Amino acid sequence: MSSASEVNNNKIDKSLNKANLIGPFIPFIQQLTRLLVLLFMVTTLLFFMLRLAGDPALVLAGNDASPEQLAAIRAQYGLDKPLLIQYFNYMLNLLQGDFGRSLASGEPAMGKVLTMLPATLLIAGLAMLISILIAIPLGAWLGFKPERPDRRAVSGIIFVFQGVPGFVTALIFIQVFAVNLRLLPSLGMEWGTIEYINLFSNLSIPIPIPSKTWILPSCSLAWFLMPSLTRVVAANTSEAMREDYIRTARAGGASGKSVLWRHALPNALLGAAALIGTQFAFLMGGAVITETIFAWPGIGWLLIESTQTLDFPVVQALAFCIAILVFIVNAITELSFQFLDPRLRSKGN
Amino acid sequence: MSQTVVEVDNLSLEFLSPAGNLMALKGVSLEISKGEIVGIVGESGSGKSVTAMNLLQLLPKTKINIPSGSVSVLNKNVTEMTEEQLQVLRGAEISMIFQEPMTALNPVLKVKDQINDILFRHKKISPKEAEEISIGLLRDMKITDPFRVYESFPHELSGGMRQRVMIAMAFSCSPKLIIADEPTTALDVTVQAQILSLLKERAKKTETSVLLITHDLAVVAQLCDRVYVMYKGEFVEEGKTNQVIGSATHPYTKALLNSLPEGKTPKSRLATIEDSLTETAKESIPENKTISSINSHEIILEIINGSIEYPKDYNIFGAPISFHKAVDQVTLSLEEGKTFSLVGESGCGKTSLANSIVGLNQLSNGEIKYKGINIKDQPPEVRREIQIVFQDPQSSLDPRWPVWKIMTEPLTAEQTPTYKELRIKASELCEMVGLEPQFIDRLPHEFSGGQRQRIAIGRALSVRPKLLVLDEPTSALDVSVQAQILNLLLDLQSEFNLSYFFISHDVAVVKHISDMVAVMYQSKVVEMGEAIEVLTSPKHEYTKNLMSSVPTLEIKQ
Repeated sequence: MSSASEVNNNKIDKSLNKANLIGPFIPFIQQLTRLLVLLFMVTTLLFFMLRLAGDPALVLAGNDASPEQLAAIRAQYGLDKPLLIQYFNYMLNLLQGDFGRSLASGEPAMGKVLTMLPATLLIAGLAMLISILIAIPLGAWLGFKPERPDRRAVSGIIFVFQGVPGFVTALIFIQVFAVNLRLLPSLGMEWGTIEYINLFSNLSIPIPIPSKTWILPSCSLAWFLMPSLTRVVAANTSEAMREDYIRTARAGGASGKSVLWRHALPNALLGAAALIGTQFAFLMGGAVITETIFAWPGIGWLLIESTQTLDFPVVQALAFCIAILVFIVNAITELSFQFLDPRLRSKGN
Repeated sequence: MSQTVVEVDNLSLEFLSPAGNLMALKGVSLEISKGEIVGIVGESGSGKSVTAMNLLQLLPKTKINIPSGSVSVLNKNVTEMTEEQLQVLRGAEISMIFQEPMTALNPVLKVKDQINDILFRHKKISPKEAEEISIGLLRDMKITDPFRVYESFPHELSGGMRQRVMIAMAFSCSPKLIIADEPTTALDVTVQAQILSLLKERAKKTETSVLLITHDLAVVAQLCDRVYVMYKGEFVEEGKTNQVIGSATHPYTKALLNSLPEGKTPKSRLATIEDSLTETAKESIPENKTISSINSHEIILEIINGSIEYPKDYNIFGAPISFHKAVDQVTLSLEEGKTFSLVGESGCGKTSLANSIVGLNQLSNGEIKYKGINIKDQPPEVRREIQIVFQDPQSSLDPRWPVWKIMTEPLTAEQTPTYKELRIKASELCEMVGLEPQFIDRLPHEFSGGQRQRIAIGRALSVRPKLLVLDEPTSALDVSVQAQILNLLLDLQSEFNLSYFFISHDVAVVKHISDMVAVMYQSKVVEMGEAIEVLTSPKHEYTKNLMSSVPTLEIKQ
């Protein structure tokens, strides 16, 4: 009996040693595997779904093209081959980093996306920042004493905000701030004085210098996230206020301020951080609407345009980029969880 | 000793609610002198925590109304103080120790920050001095590695350690009064003994008054100089601890003492509060009738070398690479019609073993035999003869299901009885477990804790089981309700010749109900035998320690 258990122990010891060697990298490898699976599925699904959407040759050739012209265009872009062959060719090119060329303009698809990406990242980042800056103090204030009449009224207003579609708020913003008050521009984008610097030969990165044109698009986009985030912070705060450790803090003589900011809010933010991660994908959807309304030259606008012209390579490259972005934001959220919650920190170790 | 620290005079308090106001306290008067340890004992909902919270004015002011009475702490009328004045008092002059060490400490702050917060709030000291004071306090709490604990987050500490931290926090500003609200209820009995002696020692040394709130008369007997007995918002009895426990005068106090299994003949009926408070009921209860079970000596359940392992770490592919042993090579057997009890502290593997009997988890090694055959080879209709009752009736019943549906759910597993048949069956089961049959359409939240546990037992009985696995069936209940449930279990056992596999951390209950007992410690069974023998003359070190830690009603002076 004892020898058997010894053998068993040895086995466990050995496997433990093995685990220690690769142990620290396990989360990283797991994340990477997940990302690769995600990208494979996104590209594959989108490839076949886009082929269902229509024939790009018809769009390219125009309405009064003859069958011969159509056939020539199909042959030129490789659209005459069987679908599976097209798929394998596409995936092979993808593995070499080649996303194909735009059907509309002939530029490299990924290059086109990457030049538009910073504009979207700018308003998405600003929108998130605005949402967080409003939602945390407002949510904390609402959740601290939710039964007060003033808090109830504000909660009601936020609830209504949450129900208003994003494009309606965007149009109201334009009407009020651009048309009536003439305070802010409602169309286009300016980067400030310096427009671009060339980082590589074909990829240029703009330098963001605050410009009035950013304000309305990012505020409208923030509207997609802010109400729900405020409500989550408020709900979590009022829940945390009912916890036993709040009673402990009060029994130790803590003032109302200290109870809220030091004891309740850090716990309440754990739930809010999770929401930010999941809502980022939603924010990208919001970017499509916002950029179209404000003629903002970002990837949301590009997505609408390339879908309308059935520009498959560009749509594919866009989806690829957005998938990676959503993935990165979620990974950051997970990390921030470990920063906020000590219980997860020690688990990670 | 004559200096008065707390004086509550004829205090009444009601909770305001739209559905009608609820009188929580009815003319309560309380006095605590300097250095005195005073207990308030009573059942849940009797108003003892409300009394304590009111001393610190911690109840939400908008939700209460105080029609009469005054509360004075350290000669200050706290009911008339402003929130700012109270904040100076709280933590410095009066501090509080709460029940649940798991939830009473803030999970995102280090022990260091939680103690220092209080120190900085009430004293003008440097961080260095604060650290010195804190470490000293932790050391006084008999924490062997105070520096590690000081730098820890609450989740990194055990329940007992957290409660020591709580007590250290309470003593940090040398208060005049400490209110301890069920400070040891959530702890294992061996830890409870340590915590109680720590509290008493420290309070006596610093001449701090303590108001101890508990449901456990034995804890009061160990700790308190004086005790108040609370029942439905009133103090029904008050006096020196030995007087109250030795010669109780009020019927409620007597009833409370009688409902304790401690010192009663094993398997005798325990008195319940209702019996004692209504004279008529007394005659219908057969006094101390010992219930005998049929001795068939047939072994109904056997566990042979049973081990349970849970995976601890995983490799890249999600396959487990190291294991935590929850149950380690346990061998035991249960005779038909008998009660086999498993005693041990939390985390020792009791529940894992119980779940494996009903198939809720699997043994990693060894086997379980039911009626001589490996349980996995038994047909489903035989396996159905084993049923389980869980610990917490608050959460183990589906809140959206009516009672009849809950109770008869096991019957619908294989057959499809009609609605009518199920309702008739449910009424029968209700009668069996002592519930009114007309309640079968009600939802679980309309019942009290004891009634809910009856529903859970009724559900287990629906398929006519031979063996009931009872996982701490009374530990979430008040003592008088516990007495009712224990009586019911004993009645059902003699009526249906049931076998019980009973799991508990409460030695007095186990002693009362069991024929055989096994003591579990760190995943292993360390001692096993006849219940009386094991629990009165323990052999193993752990059992001895356990038995000496159990608080008793005997007063040690």
